[in-house]
Amino acid sequence: MDFHLKLIVPSDPRFLSIARAAVSEVSAICGLSEELCRGVTLAVDEGLANIIRHAYRNRYDQEIELNCQTDSNRIVFTLLDWGEPPDLARICGQPLDDVSLTGRGTHLMKAIMDEVYYERVPGGNRVRLVKHLSSDKGRIDNDGSVPH
Amino acid sequence: MDRQMGSSTRIERGVTIVDVVGQIDLGSSPILRKTLLESLNGTKSVAINLSAVKYIDSSGIASLLEVLKEARNSNKRFVLFGVSGAVLQVLQLTHLTGVFEICETEEQALIA
Repeated sequence: MDFHLKLIVPSDPRFLSIARAAVSEVSAICGLSEELCRGVTLAVDEGLANIIRHAYRNRYDQEIELNCQTDSNRIVFTLLDWGEPPDLARICGQPLDDVSLTGRGTHLMKAIMDEVYYERVPGGNRVRLVKHLSSDKGRIDNDGSVPH
Repeated sequence: MDRQMGSSTRIERGVTIVDVVGQIDLGSSPILRKTLLESLNGTKSVAINLSAVKYIDSSGIASLLEVLKEARNSNKRFVLFGVSGAVLQVLQLTHLTGVFEICETEEQALIA
């Protein structure tokens, strides 16, 4: 099923639940399992939260464009903002340890999605998050381990 | 899915229990952090009931970690219980299931 959904989301955390609901429904329509729907929703939400915190420096009066495009093989979520460019050192993802309070959002995005791209576009930034419909990346095994 | 996050605090057998409902995200995690840090005052043990939490993101996890560190620094116990599939999934993906003390039920959290 091919379709394109486009949302303009205010850079205000109160609207994140609306974006999450849309992403969750798109994922379900595309046939992802409940667990993968939750994971994909989390990954996109982390991308939106990063834009609010870093690109817009917690300014809640800006806009984020969220596009969801699907075909028979994958879902592509594109987040577009017009804020400051991301810190490449941060988005490369520092190693996780139990004392780190930051950087887990980027780690989650990469752990769940099959492809994560950051691009500078005229006047702004674009994050592309791709989920292949045949992929089980982000799934948790019964023993609690994360498949690689 | 409850859109708003809410919490209430009670004391059972000397343990401060914080019941949390709804979604923990960038907007609500600062409120949770403040509530949990305040709950550490005047008690030796805090247990957070996550059974009604349907969503948590990395900012919520960071808040829990911060409270855990504060509890450790003040020789207090901080335990999670009623961890749902959604919350457990995030803890597993961030490799934090071994960092927190996690109990299945409130009773286990009270006697551990």
